[in-house]
Amino acid sequence: MTTQARFLVVDDDPVVARSFDRVLSGKGYAVITARDGPEALEKLAREDYDAVFTDIRMPGMDGLEVAARIKATRPWLPVVIVTGYGSPASEARAKEIGVAGFLHKPLSPEMIEGSAREAMTWKAADRSAPVAAAKPAEPVAAAPGAGGIVKNLALFVAAPFIGLAYAIAFPFVGLALLAWYGYRALVNKAGGR
Amino acid sequence: MTDMQRIYVHPLPVRIWHWANALGFIALILTGVQIRYVDLIGLMSFRAAVSLHNWVGWVLVGNFFIWLGFYLFTDKIRVYHPELSPVKHFRDSFRQLQYYGYGIFKGDPNPHHLSAYHKFNALQSMAYQIIMLLLVPLQFVTGVLLWDLKRFSGAVEFFGGVRVVDTVHVLLFIFFTAFILVHPYLASLGHTPSAHFKAMITGYEEVDE
Repeated sequence: MTTQARFLVVDDDPVVARSFDRVLSGKGYAVITARDGPEALEKLAREDYDAVFTDIRMPGMDGLEVAARIKATRPWLPVVIVTGYGSPASEARAKEIGVAGFLHKPLSPEMIEGSAREAMTWKAADRSAPVAAAKPAEPVAAAPGAGGIVKNLALFVAAPFIGLAYAIAFPFVGLALLAWYGYRALVNKAGGR
Repeated sequence: MTDMQRIYVHPLPVRIWHWANALGFIALILTGVQIRYVDLIGLMSFRAAVSLHNWVGWVLVGNFFIWLGFYLFTDKIRVYHPELSPVKHFRDSFRQLQYYGYGIFKGDPNPHHLSAYHKFNALQSMAYQIIMLLLVPLQFVTGVLLWDLKRFSGAVEFFGGVRVVDTVHVLLFIFFTAFILVHPYLASLGHTPSAHFKAMITGYEEVDE
């Protein structure tokens, strides 16, 4: 019986973490998420992981700093940088740190799975060879079919009405959230006594 | 990190439409104020103000169709697609609101990741869908009805009479005047105060990692 590979995904956007979880959990990997750099480092100090995927842009500690700190203590651990806009300067700095590769947003399931597989290969074999940068999924620039045109137009026509519904609901959702946070704060305060 | 990447976000037809629209709206606001407060303001004669208001109005109607045509006939139509998940929409909206109201003053990164097809954050997306596809056309329709009340008397009656049409037109005029004042402030919240202004000239937005 083989041990399940464990990936740590560091991103302040839970949608990205969920994408990794959705794709990789079905392939027999375990995905653990961290909302920011300090949380990721804390988890790494407590548990072993097979690879780390970290976003660059995060409040507080950015992804390159997270990668640098990980490589300083665990140079064998593959770290893949997930980024929206890869600039040559940041990629050069990431390579200096010794990251295993880059994953450019927007992410597709194939990119996530391919990058996970390559990170595992990187870990098992040559630790100095970078994983080939996964190319971003090209936006759907090709001419859409008739169904696509109808869908595009329908969404365009529906947009102001959906926007209006959101705008009307906005203050009520805001008040509900405030009430919820207030309630939680009161409960926490009462529990702390 | 200060590495900047340039992304082509504003195609030429959109930039032409934007600046023509900006100049036109300022002209419409000035002439509109002159028409409304004829006894208080002396920018020009009432007749000249009405004439200029009508002409600029028609130019902006044509300009709107340039904008509409561009989005209808290119894949950039996705820029104006709504977010169909209310949970994601409200989560992103409140994050953006928190950024504008608090995070921006602490130097937090903008939670919105700009791209050619997602140039608007959740709040902008909601606002521009309503403005461009509902309020601007409504302002044009009410303006055209008021332009020739005799010719469009049937339509004016259908909408409840001159008083209703005029009230809607003036309320929207107040809204757009406020918009013209708020818009440059929000446009100055880029990584430099002039970044978004330059982007609307060159087409390229600069984004950091």
